[in-house]
Amino acid sequence: MSDTPLVRLDGAGKSYGNVIALRDVDLEASPGEVTCVLGDNGAGKSTLIKIVAGLHRHDTGTYTVQGEEVAFSSPREALDLGIATVYQDLAVVPLMPVWRNFFLGSEKRRRLGRLDIPFMRATTRDELHAMGIDLRDVDRPIGTLSGGERQCVAIARAVYFGAKALVLDEPTAALGVKQAGVVLRYIVQARERGLAVIFITHNPHHAYPVGDRFLILDRGRSIGYHTKDEISRDELTGLMAGGAELEQLAHELERGLRKE
Amino acid sequence: MTTPAVAAAPDERLARRSPLRRLLGRPELGALLGAVALFVFFSLAADAFLRTGSFSTVLYASSTFGIMAVGVSLLMIGGEFDLSAGVMVTTSALVTALTAYQLTLNLWVGAAISLAVTLALGLLNGLLCVRTRLPSFIVTLATFFMLAGLNLGVTKAVTGNVASDSVRDMDGFDSARAVFASDLAVGGVTVDVTVLWWLLLVAAATWLLLRTRAGNWIFAVGGAADSARAVGVPVARTKIALFMGVAFCAWLSGMHLVFAFATVQSGEGVGNEFYYIICAVIGGCLLTGGYGSAIGAAVGAFIFGMTNKGIVYAEWNPDWFKFFLGAMLLIATVVNLVVRRRVERSS
Amino acid sequence: MRRATTRATVTVLAAATVLALAGCSDSGGKKAEETPGAGGPRLKIAMVTHSGAGDTFWDIVQKGAKAAAAKDNVEFLYSADPDGGKQAQLVQAAIDKRVDGIIVTLAKPDAMKDVLARAAAAKIPVVSINSGATESAALGAIAHFGQDESIAGEAAGAELKKIGAKKALCVIHEQGNVGLEDRCAGARKTFGGQLQNLFVQGTNMPEVKSSITAKLQADKGIDGILTLGAPFAATAVDSVESTGSKAKVGTFDLNKDLIAQITSGAIWFAVDQQPYLQGYGAVDQLWLQKTNGNVLGGGRPVLTGPAIVTKDNAAALEGFANRGTR
Repeated sequence: MSDTPLVRLDGAGKSYGNVIALRDVDLEASPGEVTCVLGDNGAGKSTLIKIVAGLHRHDTGTYTVQGEEVAFSSPREALDLGIATVYQDLAVVPLMPVWRNFFLGSEKRRRLGRLDIPFMRATTRDELHAMGIDLRDVDRPIGTLSGGERQCVAIARAVYFGAKALVLDEPTAALGVKQAGVVLRYIVQARERGLAVIFITHNPHHAYPVGDRFLILDRGRSIGYHTKDEISRDELTGLMAGGAELEQLAHELERGLRKE
Repeated sequence: MTTPAVAAAPDERLARRSPLRRLLGRPELGALLGAVALFVFFSLAADAFLRTGSFSTVLYASSTFGIMAVGVSLLMIGGEFDLSAGVMVTTSALVTALTAYQLTLNLWVGAAISLAVTLALGLLNGLLCVRTRLPSFIVTLATFFMLAGLNLGVTKAVTGNVASDSVRDMDGFDSARAVFASDLAVGGVTVDVTVLWWLLLVAAATWLLLRTRAGNWIFAVGGAADSARAVGVPVARTKIALFMGVAFCAWLSGMHLVFAFATVQSGEGVGNEFYYIICAVIGGCLLTGGYGSAIGAAVGAFIFGMTNKGIVYAEWNPDWFKFFLGAMLLIATVVNLVVRRRVERSS
Repeated sequence: MRRATTRATVTVLAAATVLALAGCSDSGGKKAEETPGAGGPRLKIAMVTHSGAGDTFWDIVQKGAKAAAAKDNVEFLYSADPDGGKQAQLVQAAIDKRVDGIIVTLAKPDAMKDVLARAAAAKIPVVSINSGATESAALGAIAHFGQDESIAGEAAGAELKKIGAKKALCVIHEQGNVGLEDRCAGARKTFGGQLQNLFVQGTNMPEVKSSITAKLQADKGIDGILTLGAPFAATAVDSVESTGSKAKVGTFDLNKDLIAQITSGAIWFAVDQQPYLQGYGAVDQLWLQKTNGNVLGGGRPVLTGPAIVTKDNAAALEGFANRGTR
């Protein structure tokens, strides 16, 4: 762990027209650490990611990468500084073969601009195999893979291309228990390789086992920013669910059930 | 997670299922089967169809659609349409004929000016689509109208007629005609030079699509533009380049028009854009983008040329011409569809 | 799909034309009031045709009309739409502008019936040109200037026979156009030999060329080609050359390149319907009717064609064609 965090937001904010999507949020992610960002739908998680990934520029506050202030105008710029983002729904191009997806945007070329196809096929197969995905045919359209497999391809891709920071947007959201486990295991692997991981999720049970820091967002604001030793799983779950609201909900549901 | 036995297995299985599956998975296969079926059909139906001279006429007709279909199919794979492609050919031809004639320039200079203007039109189409984020269908429909109006208005303002003046006796006509509109004897068969241009373009486009980074980007921007942008593909630049690719094909077709016919009718070209799109679709390009091939579009153009001329060779009652044309296209497209569905189900 | 687009293009262009013309006419009218012309009161005459965009033929009609308008101190307005309903709307627009006379083509007579009745109610004289010779009088037009397509076809058939053709093609560049079909039918009547129709896509010259080439290859016995528009004749000559066929080419309509090819012997004849005369005659007729109550043709159509152009008289017409008026 180094002293300056790899990625750091101070008082970052973003508004779309007169809608304030994010206000005054702090975040840091250091190598070998997993920073979890938790929040319900509409809490501002995706805005936060888009700022970190370079898709949108922040309006207020500062964004520093390795101590240098940045303002990205495209994801490419973020990528060049080693910040790779894996999106929940737009991670891949479904109709394209797995290996083309794996190298998309960072194609390996030989002389005359020719693609080095054998290398890319073999590398894709090896990298996926190392992750525990056994693909018979890397020429298959990636759309034919399962959701978890697709996430893993995207994560493996980011790691292979030398990402220093990995931003994961709800990688476990659409997955079954077993597949989510595979993805969580890979998050830990990425951390152990010395990457700074920013893991966005709404599931505290996925976040707590792998996370080192936890940022909880609600309606565009931070409602808690804790290291693992400051907070227990139950506290995190409570914060995440908005404590009192959850009790209220449980109460209502029980009453509803009794009526029927 | 994975046992060594399973790890060793993939390559075996790959080898076993690969050759046939690979072939069946190609987007152009359905079109190819349709083309073979049509060829056999017309060979039986029309005596004149199998003569070598007839074949070169069919190839010529195919090439005039095929050259444009190359650019249009790449653009479609990239997820966009260009409805101005048909009249852009006429614009390109008119620019050459009008500038060269009015300024008494060598026709090669006219051709160069036309190339610049046509590429600028492609750039404009691309920029408009990318910047406004409007569907290209709307943007290029607008440029289609504008170009059709400009073709007529400028031609009439400059020449006082609705056709350009003949450039047959001007400097550079003969050499340019040799490049754009001549025919060559290849092994006893007359082949129009447009056929060579066509094959060259198809080869170049296929190489571009399958063997270069740009090709990867084209598939990606058509298949999922947001995903492509997120992994660092320059989506806007790729799309603009594709529109300019269509413009280049339009220029080549326009040059053929000028040097084959010497005068250019300003009202020509309207409606052809749909034939180009049809060629690409018959050849397996998805209307929604992200899938297709340049070879498929070439086969589509060949089907189109074959049907178009085969009806003439078969000497069927011309009153039914369009009906037969439509029926042939339907059959070819359905064969294409059935093959693709079958492949998708079995994989 | 293609037809709809073509029509849409034309609609937009026509609408723009109408707007532009409407804008112009106001200022013109004022000018006319302030400075009355020397040759009598300044008249305003509108011509509404069924022309598509970019047709050489209608360009020449307009030139004739403009020449007569300049001579007669007439303000000439032009608009066109190939769609019958839209053409009627354009005529209505002319009525609303209270023009002094209307010139229409009657390609779709039924679509024009009501609007011409309104013109009569508004006491605006109507002259029909080009197509619609048989319906002209019934629809209230005072005169008709045009070519009878059947008669013109018969003349073309006779010419084909004269140059020695036995088996010929009639190249129709717009499928479903009754006037073009009439020409072929007329030619068939006087030709004596076998005349087949061949349909080509007129907006796509390479397609025209390959279709004619294919037909010549399919039937080596063809020794004559009759095209129905000037640009297609030159293309037919290309096809004849590339297939080594012995077919002789004749055509309808005229332009300057065609005259050169008639002089050189590549094309044998042209059947000209003298479009200039249709525009010129119609404007002149309206002016005569307004200023002197004259009517041309004695209630019958005034035929502007066919005028046959061959090697013998082509040279004399060269200058006129270069000007774009023949």
